[in-house]
Amino acid sequence: MTETLTANGFKLDTGGKRVVVDPICRIEGHLRIEVNLDSDNVIRNAVSTGTMWRGLEVILKGRDPRDAWAFVERICGVCTGVHALTSVRAVEDALGIKIPENANHIRNLMMLAQYTQDHLVHFYHLHALDWVDVVSALSADPKATSALQQSISSWSKSSPGYFRDVQARLKRFVESGQLGPFANAYWGSPAYKLPAEANLMAVTHYLEALDFQREIVKIHTVFGGRNPHPNWVVGGMPCSFSLNETGGINMEWLNLVSSIIDRSIEFIDKVYIPDLKAIASFYPEWTTYGGGLSSTNLLSYGDFPKVANDWSQENMHMPGGAIINGDLSKVHEVDVRDPEQVQEFVTHSWYKYPDESKGLHPWDGMTEPNFELGPNTKGSKTDIQEIDENAKYSFVKAPRWRGHAMEVGPLARYVVAYVRGDEEIKAQVDGLLSDLGLPLTALFSTLGRTAARGLECSWAAHKMRFVFDSMMANLKAGDTATSNMDLWEPKTWPKDVKGVGMVEAPRGSLGHWVHIKDTKIASYQAIVPTTWNASPRDAAGNIGAYEAALLGTPMANPEQPLEILRTVHSFDPCLACATHVIAPDGQELVSVKVR
Amino acid sequence: MNSNVASGPRDPVGQQAVYVFEAPVRLWHWLHTFSFLILAVTGYLIAHPLPSPIGEPSDHFVMGNLRLIHFISAYVFAIGFAVRIYWAFVGNKYSREIFYLPIWKAKWWKELLFEVKFYLFLTKDKDSTLGHNPLAQTAMFFLNTLFTFFMIGTGFALYGQGLGDGSWADRMFGWIIPLLGGGQAVRNWHILGMWIMLMFAIIHMYMAARADIMGRKSSVSAMIGGWRLFRDE
Amino acid sequence: MGIQKTFYEAMREHGITRRSFLKFCSLTAAGLGLAPEFAGTIAHALETKPRTPVIWLHGLECTCCTESFIRSGHPLAADVVLSMISLDYDDTLMAAAGHQAEEILEQTIEKYDGNFILACEGNPPLNEDGMYCFQGGKPYVEKLRRMASHCKAIIAWGSCASWGCVQAAHPNPTRAVPIHKVITDKPIIKVPGCPPIAEVMTGVIAYMLTFDRFPELDRQGRPKMFYSQRNHDKCYRRAHFDAGQFVERFDDEGARKGYCLYKMGCKGPTTYNACSTIEWNGGLSWPVKSGHGCLGCSEDNFWDRGSFYSAVNDLNVPGGIESTADKIGGVLAGAAAIGVAAHAAASVISHSRNNTKGGSSHD
Repeated sequence: MTETLTANGFKLDTGGKRVVVDPICRIEGHLRIEVNLDSDNVIRNAVSTGTMWRGLEVILKGRDPRDAWAFVERICGVCTGVHALTSVRAVEDALGIKIPENANHIRNLMMLAQYTQDHLVHFYHLHALDWVDVVSALSADPKATSALQQSISSWSKSSPGYFRDVQARLKRFVESGQLGPFANAYWGSPAYKLPAEANLMAVTHYLEALDFQREIVKIHTVFGGRNPHPNWVVGGMPCSFSLNETGGINMEWLNLVSSIIDRSIEFIDKVYIPDLKAIASFYPEWTTYGGGLSSTNLLSYGDFPKVANDWSQENMHMPGGAIINGDLSKVHEVDVRDPEQVQEFVTHSWYKYPDESKGLHPWDGMTEPNFELGPNTKGSKTDIQEIDENAKYSFVKAPRWRGHAMEVGPLARYVVAYVRGDEEIKAQVDGLLSDLGLPLTALFSTLGRTAARGLECSWAAHKMRFVFDSMMANLKAGDTATSNMDLWEPKTWPKDVKGVGMVEAPRGSLGHWVHIKDTKIASYQAIVPTTWNASPRDAAGNIGAYEAALLGTPMANPEQPLEILRTVHSFDPCLACATHVIAPDGQELVSVKVR
Repeated sequence: MNSNVASGPRDPVGQQAVYVFEAPVRLWHWLHTFSFLILAVTGYLIAHPLPSPIGEPSDHFVMGNLRLIHFISAYVFAIGFAVRIYWAFVGNKYSREIFYLPIWKAKWWKELLFEVKFYLFLTKDKDSTLGHNPLAQTAMFFLNTLFTFFMIGTGFALYGQGLGDGSWADRMFGWIIPLLGGGQAVRNWHILGMWIMLMFAIIHMYMAARADIMGRKSSVSAMIGGWRLFRDE
Repeated sequence: MGIQKTFYEAMREHGITRRSFLKFCSLTAAGLGLAPEFAGTIAHALETKPRTPVIWLHGLECTCCTESFIRSGHPLAADVVLSMISLDYDDTLMAAAGHQAEEILEQTIEKYDGNFILACEGNPPLNEDGMYCFQGGKPYVEKLRRMASHCKAIIAWGSCASWGCVQAAHPNPTRAVPIHKVITDKPIIKVPGCPPIAEVMTGVIAYMLTFDRFPELDRQGRPKMFYSQRNHDKCYRRAHFDAGQFVERFDDEGARKGYCLYKMGCKGPTTYNACSTIEWNGGLSWPVKSGHGCLGCSEDNFWDRGSFYSAVNDLNVPGGIESTADKIGGVLAGAAAIGVAAHAAASVISHSRNNTKGGSSHD
């Protein structure tokens, strides 16, 4: 018998043809996917393997908690800053530091800018080539492309001449024979469904978006000094407002931020969203594939506090919660401090626990790498041809909420906020669905995930305007403080404290758990979005979100893993994030060190 | 035991004197001392700056002046040491004592052991070496001579960072920076070097004063006049 | 594949006029700090050279180098990728995946043996037979070695490839090493920073394509045009440093007046980078300008140099990352003073005891 039923209700069949895709490109970090196809080339089993480990939390032990943000910021340079923010929140939570209102506004602004830029880059540069055939764009009629562009949006760059120029550049580029990043891809595959004009329009916007994304991140540069990897500080923000002095942020920089916000809103609403709708309309079947856990188990911590230091969901611009077993009538409250709620398993991960049948809450977590392959692995330790998913098979741990495998990310946030009745998000979702003539259940799919990300990008751009205006109102009222340094000195800290910081990162729910003892980090743990989504199986056999989402998808040509890429990319994987892993107590450290 | 003290004039109270520290050595000793003290104080203030003065930056030059004094003292410290090295070649035999340890001589080891016992109050005999006793020489060699080299090397390496790529200090000492793991590491070692030399200075002053008061050979005055006096038993 | 286009031909194909092409050349010359007459040299070079293939590998890293690279404003990253070089492999951007992607590596070796540039982002871990980072089922270090043995020259992007960076910080659980520890027979240019500035990255590429050689390197392998001065040397807050005016706390009076951040732990005085000259994101700002000290991210092992918020830092001594020079030194000097005092007291006691016993001491 090769057929099994997983604890979370998915049917797996490990017979048939095994297809390996390693590396999965156009993601952050290193990921391997293996699938089994039945005789109709439908995916019947999927295995997600994180193929890198850096050990960052091990490295954090014994360091100054005020420095931690800089270390964990280097977990990921794509979603840059999200770990840093989570870290300063965790340390502030542990030490009981309250931040000023302006710091909250600035942090919200920076995180919203991150959403806007990250989602934009994901759509055009990491995901679009799964749907857009670059070579087909060569045969487009520029006039028809112009007409198409003008019919879907009022974006100014829409003349036939403009598209003709872009096409001419593209044509000569392809004819040069040096295809660069477009070489060896799947052009001409029957899986590509867009008409040539839509392809040309999308390729044109690929280039425009690559240019425009540089602008969005300048918001980070103003408040944090640079991007990638802007600066943060425990207690607030390192920047100061100097409205009547020379030295800090003044009216000129504030005007720049305001102008970037306006241009971002325009670009997202006139380019990204119309493109998204246009592309989606040609791939209706992808509103039925790739659902996975999205129709049953979704998790969001909620984020973007309206008022500083209040973590209740009512205070969140993006309210969170958990949905389980597909029950859309109820949103469960999530308490990340509760040892029964969030737990990580390593039964199928390359780490060691004393008892691997149980999960550990991050405050009790540990990490001892244990790279061992199962008996059914094909190949050798340093040349893995097929992995054995019945044994340990990934550097990603398996986090679970009350034992459930959960999906996180824009789609999870949107469904949770929708169910909670958030007006803005409800309006956005209902509008898109009615434009495309789709039911709500269409969201639970590969395309639903991609669409939610697009809507969220627009939401974030508009929310930046709201937050910026709130900040300006606060400045006008005379509050210019950006940081609270009352508890800056370690001698003012309690001896032994624990804290947790949460952020809804672009890719989903992110939490850092810190234990500070004698002013130094005693342990540090992070559970990141891609750890939830890319997770391998757990002790009970629940499969993770990637694995679940791949099941049931037919492949046009098993040699060309386009369908796998579409679904995996719809999650926007970030493997450096997922496999940074874990801070233990001292004993484990030693065994790590002596290897 | 008194065989070393064979020559030299005898004064009326029965003291014997030997000319140990020649003038250049004595001059260097005090230059070295005072430049080190200035370097230590200014260096500490460069690492831990004073409270900020109020007003326009063009009206103040606090760090600038501290660094200027530090650099001038550093030149005195380094050039003085260079001349001192020269004197080790042309001076008397005592002038070479701080630059090497005669570890090949059994007698030196015996005396070293004796000094250790002496300072641990395990023996009541007194030493009678003319220059530095072996223990003092060891301390002097490791904590003063080697650290002087170290401080000059690391100091000029850091100075070369400011003078710029290709400057004399960068060309001569710049290799130290990557060797110790970068500029920040060199700074830290430079600061630690200061503390170790300060530690040596404290012990050195105590030992010298103690020898003057309780021992049978003069120390402080010897470094002023050059003559080392031995009280008679 | 077909004929290789020169950079100029490629630009013309992208609809760029000769006039704008020459303007681009003079801007590039200015960007590289060269005299205006070099614009001609650049133009000539770009008109006659085919696009150089670049293989961009990713080891243990966070992709911040790639993210920084695509922020480049002059030249635009799109122009670099489409017109200046031929970016034949980069797992973050390329359309292909799986074995189609890996085949490109072999094709490159076949077609351009000894003639392509290897750009390395991230570094290889050596523990667990290199399997803390594997691609295509095999250790990353193998892929790195294979490509390095066939390339013309190597660019080490960022602090990971140049120094080891965060995963190599104490205790370096995966034994991640900078690439010069595993590749010793090829010229390597280090472009450190976490990440490096976008225009520094594209500037290095432009220089190599223009002059067909490495820019002049310092003794640690970094291009002098970007790394020969410390951030401190050209810091616009330097006047406050010299005056002795320092920020004491974030958002204090000094912070609002733009005083020097040295007391807040700024590592500008020991950090070689171009932040204070070129600045970030199109010359908009840089960490010190925004109010936070320099972390020293382009320096070797800056993670283990102690707190980012203290001017005097920890020594990287075995057995602990906690000990600052001042702490150790203070203890040593203090111990010396206490020891001296104790010894003096003991001496006096010993001396008087000897005297009362009527021993042989002098009088």
